[in-house]
Amino acid sequence: MVTKEDIEHVAKLMRIDIDNTDQYFEQIQKILNYFDILDKANIESEEISVQEVSINDLRDDKYTPFESKLIDQLKNYKGSYIRAPKMN
Amino acid sequence: MNLATSSIDYINNVKNGIITAEEFVAKTLEQISKHDKNLHAFISINENALDQARQIDRKIKSKEKVGAFYGMPISVKDNICVKGGKTTCASKMLQDFVAPYDATVISKLKSQDATIIGKTNLDEFAMGVATEFSAFGPSRNPWNQEYVPGGSSGGSAVSISALECVLSLGSDTGGSVRNPASFCSVVGLKPTYGLVSRYGLVSYANTIEQIGPMGRKVEDTALLLNHIAGKDPNDNTSIDNGSQDYLEGIDAGIQGKKIGIIKEMSKGEGLDKNVESSFWRAASVFEKLGAKVDEVSLDMVSYTIAAYYVLVSAEAGSNLARYDNIRYGYDFDSEGYEFNSYVSKARKNFGPEVTRRMILGGFVPSAGFAGKYLLKALKVKSKLTKEIQEAFKKFDFLISPTVPILPFKFGEKINDPLAMYLADTNTATANLTNVPAISVPFEIHNGLPIGIQIHANILQEKQLLQAAYALQSTTNIPGVPL
Repeated sequence: MVTKEDIEHVAKLMRIDIDNTDQYFEQIQKILNYFDILDKANIESEEISVQEVSINDLRDDKYTPFESKLIDQLKNYKGSYIRAPKMN
Repeated sequence: MNLATSSIDYINNVKNGIITAEEFVAKTLEQISKHDKNLHAFISINENALDQARQIDRKIKSKEKVGAFYGMPISVKDNICVKGGKTTCASKMLQDFVAPYDATVISKLKSQDATIIGKTNLDEFAMGVATEFSAFGPSRNPWNQEYVPGGSSGGSAVSISALECVLSLGSDTGGSVRNPASFCSVVGLKPTYGLVSRYGLVSYANTIEQIGPMGRKVEDTALLLNHIAGKDPNDNTSIDNGSQDYLEGIDAGIQGKKIGIIKEMSKGEGLDKNVESSFWRAASVFEKLGAKVDEVSLDMVSYTIAAYYVLVSAEAGSNLARYDNIRYGYDFDSEGYEFNSYVSKARKNFGPEVTRRMILGGFVPSAGFAGKYLLKALKVKSKLTKEIQEAFKKFDFLISPTVPILPFKFGEKINDPLAMYLADTNTATANLTNVPAISVPFEIHNGLPIGIQIHANILQEKQLLQAAYALQSTTNIPGVPL
């Protein structure tokens, strides 16, 4: 059973502020309850298939310069430095 | 000059000098300014569209080589990057984001002289089935403006239906091309995973999503697919299709083909009675066309919505981690903030559905819950894939209603996410199993469109389009009441 604290904790880990916790809690609990239907699926013996990409299919590891100045897209930068909040 | 033209007639008319690209694009822009205040199919319009069309006319006049689209106006969902213009994903987080490069599909269209007429509305980051989650307001269904157009590629479907373009590109993660195609009575194709490059498509759930062509007719989507499919070095999941021509032989018919009706999608609870009866009429139409029709069961379909939403939430949770207000988005200075609280505050810009997916996306793969949710979802995906492959040993095509319900009114489902998720019941299977599927307009019930979905096996788009064309040839759908 998922608690309100669980959801608040996950929201914090996902770095997302929410105001109306109660409404999200109710909706997410309802959705998670619906996901319980997965318990009924007869899949115990099933293997998880993974998507494989052969190393030969990767593009060449070649440097191609990108012409436009991407840093101009950012509003908060000085010279070639991006300004970010401090890490604790 | 008829804006309701097929793409093929448009090309012939421009090629033969009956109309110019400029005239057609000008008339299309007029149509947009006349109707889009109400319909809101577009988030932005290409200000240079007329100039670009004029340049193409000049090329035609001076007998230069002209690309296959001859200036045809094509709209593009606003989660696909077009260089130099805004790509917002209908999110406040990206409202000022200018794409620094063209998506591969866009480079391909431009190199064939298409005119990108504008960027179309969607649910924020393509999460939704109604465009109601667009941060810039919903699009309206041209068939009845009190109803949603479907989603998430709702703007694309509306723009085609309302004659605001000839073709459109959408993206389909669990039905986002086919659902609005069905709701707006246009054609929408979700290609085999990998057939169309995803380079330049803003990632949401990248292991299952595809860019898909949309048009008023099956042959329109075939033509568009011809020009966007194929291997791309920038997307290593892309597939070489040998430059197949999907238009050639599209009228081959389906005589002798075997068609399976997917039981779990075609009867029972959750299926609107009118959609159901319309679907069974379509099944008998396939029989009249010479196909052998039988029922087939895919047990795992009952679990697809749970599995699908677990998977996409997990992928969205990591794909959307990049929206931190530093690299993307910017609405307040970082002065005085600590990193986590800064990012958390910025993410208040996300709308309710994206917020829900972020929380679910943190939850379902987390320690203690991954075994219950994520691993089971992946196992359902594996088993469903085996089941559909088994079905394709017996059948050439698998059919169902595209959406189990008719278009609904605005606000009807917005506070009930689960009810909304269930609208994807019939479409998520194709994404989870990598196979192509198409929605074909079939009937109009009380002024609301109903579409039929056809699946084919991996890379069988040519056959799939032939079946869709055969069904289309039996329909008689009135013009959109604009």
